[in-house]
Amino acid sequence: MAESQAVLDGTLAPLVALVGPPNSGKTTLFNQLTGLRQKVANYPGVTVEKHIGRVSLNDGRKLDLVDLPGVHGFSARTLDERVTRDVLEGRLEGMKAPDALVLIVDSTRLENQLMLVEPVLELELPTLLVLNMSDELDERGGGVDDAALAARLGVDIVRTSARTGEGVADVRAYLTGVEPIDRSIPYASRTLSNIPRTIELPVVDAFAHRRKLVREIVGDAHFVPPGPSKMSERLDAVFLHRIFGPVVFLAVVVLVFQSIFTWAVPLMDGIEWMIELSGTWLLATLPDTWFRSLLVDGVWAGVGSVVVFLPQILILFLFLGILEDSGYMARAAVIADRSMYRVGLQGRAFLPLLSGYACAVPAILAARTIDDERDRLATIFVTPFMTCSARLPVYALLIAAFIPDEPLLGPIFGLRAAVLLGLYGLGIVAAVGTAFLLKRTLLKARPTSFIMELPPYRIPSLRTLGLRLLDRSRIFLRRAGRIIFAVTVVLWILTQFPRTEAGAPDIEQSALGTIGQVIEPAIAPLGLDWRFGVGLVSSLAAREVIVGTLGTIYGVETADGDSLELLDALQRDLTLASAMGLLVFFAFALQCMSTVAVMRRESGGWKWPILQFSYMLFLGYVGAFIAYRIF
Amino acid sequence: MQVLPVVHHDPADEVAELRLGDVPLRQEVELVWIDLPAHEAEPLLERGVLPGCRICPVRSSPGGDPIVSIDGSLLALRRETADCLCVRILSQLQEAS
Repeated sequence: MAESQAVLDGTLAPLVALVGPPNSGKTTLFNQLTGLRQKVANYPGVTVEKHIGRVSLNDGRKLDLVDLPGVHGFSARTLDERVTRDVLEGRLEGMKAPDALVLIVDSTRLENQLMLVEPVLELELPTLLVLNMSDELDERGGGVDDAALAARLGVDIVRTSARTGEGVADVRAYLTGVEPIDRSIPYASRTLSNIPRTIELPVVDAFAHRRKLVREIVGDAHFVPPGPSKMSERLDAVFLHRIFGPVVFLAVVVLVFQSIFTWAVPLMDGIEWMIELSGTWLLATLPDTWFRSLLVDGVWAGVGSVVVFLPQILILFLFLGILEDSGYMARAAVIADRSMYRVGLQGRAFLPLLSGYACAVPAILAARTIDDERDRLATIFVTPFMTCSARLPVYALLIAAFIPDEPLLGPIFGLRAAVLLGLYGLGIVAAVGTAFLLKRTLLKARPTSFIMELPPYRIPSLRTLGLRLLDRSRIFLRRAGRIIFAVTVVLWILTQFPRTEAGAPDIEQSALGTIGQVIEPAIAPLGLDWRFGVGLVSSLAAREVIVGTLGTIYGVETADGDSLELLDALQRDLTLASAMGLLVFFAFALQCMSTVAVMRRESGGWKWPILQFSYMLFLGYVGAFIAYRIF
Repeated sequence: MQVLPVVHHDPADEVAELRLGDVPLRQEVELVWIDLPAHEAEPLLERGVLPGCRICPVRSSPGGDPIVSIDGSLLALRRETADCLCVRILSQLQEAS
């Protein structure tokens, strides 16, 4: 954040705000103007992302462009609207008020999109109106008189096709003419019309007035609405079909799964191999000191356990990005809404819950699109129940050690697959049950309306997809990376003390071993000893760390899931019952500090993450105990 | 149909009992009144769903929820929401104007 503020404060570059309703092509235009010179941060105190970028002007000067969230109005009903309003009014700390505005609208839906024009014009700032997707308007037999519209509104108008890049040069030309506003003149009068929220009638009246105005404006500009998009209609006939719709929906879910669990695996293995190789090389090259141990066992292992998830996250976000930009995600949300509604969630929760199968951290961030605050909290509360990929190495190890490789239903579906599927099912049941419970207790509310705009289908732009991937991986590395890294280093320190004459103590005598022994009485009812206590504590960094820790404890050289020595050791020290208990514990418990940290950020305090951690720990413990007794 | 308290509607609109949820596909109607508290109506209002606007159900989602066309945009609503939108069928005469 400090960096992006420096961008603003350090120079006299003018600031221009890009405003527009959702699905108007705002972000595509932003990317075309700024390219890679953009920064993403959060607005102070809220979870709305601030996208700010540098535009090189035609005369060589630079200008800062801020991409505001897509909004329908400025009533401050949602977080996005509040942030947009605050930025436009220059009320945000560390950010000056914009010197000019670019209002971008989808010109095929001019009547709908111009609802923003009145409050924007009230700011009395130099404004450029961008009629985006104008090529589509023409293609579909619509039209608008730009000159009349410009005259009526008193703004400049540019036609663009953000898709093909047509007209972007005209926007840049307009930006070149923007001059910083002399702020010594008080500008407090520039406020957006705030719609009264307590009285019922005026709300409708204020909107009705705005609507009437928009109708007059588009009438004066001789706007001819385009014919229906034949392609969109045909696609909807399939994607929202009573039978084909859900079939396609399931196929998409399977495809996303397939991609993150099959296609990402070779890449992840490759990264793991490289980390291991470089670690071994470091071990051989550096002298045997505490520093080498810190570097290899602490830092290297820490970095490794973060980076290894990157291929999966990237592939997941590539798919989700394509689904979102093509317009399918909105349809998927509509299809999912009915079943989500039954458990107390809504259609927009589908995306974060699906992402949760890769990693809860980006999934919780993805829940920001849920406009209803209670729905969002309920969604991010249950997201960690989705079987994230960090659980898989643990599942794989324990299943390989304790579940016989026997066929169950035919040759493909064996007992091992059944157990794995059961663990996935357990996660879903817990998520659904918890959501159901939450919406009837802590997050009780009258069911809110679910309104989903279905944008026309479009071909996603590679540039936007690429930039978003870059963005998402940066956020993931920063959020998850820092925590996993820190916890790994702390764990390393705990294995180094108290020092013995030979250097580091045996793990049993180390501080970490002591912690394991302290919690042993608590896990003894589950049939687990101090070694698993150490494993459970270390898995707080990331769940799969327990595999490596157990490997270290048992003195196994390579701690891969399929290493025979570790399997033998586990079979010796665990019973089937306690292994099943451990599996259930991992299915439920929130053994992930990165998730806790992200939860704190996204829920704006410690209350929700603490509640979530305790609840999931309790569920995990009780579940493990029951499993231990049953088997 | 459940009887709802009449909150501010024009005495002229005697047909306000028709709800959007009951309108057949491709029948264009005019919105008369939104029978929802302000904070729930606002997201609708912002998207142009206002008394006086024309709405046309164009499709039904696999779950049976209406998808309507308004001002050239497609909106998916829950049927519970659609049942709170009082509408009237536009007569041929009004449509011609």
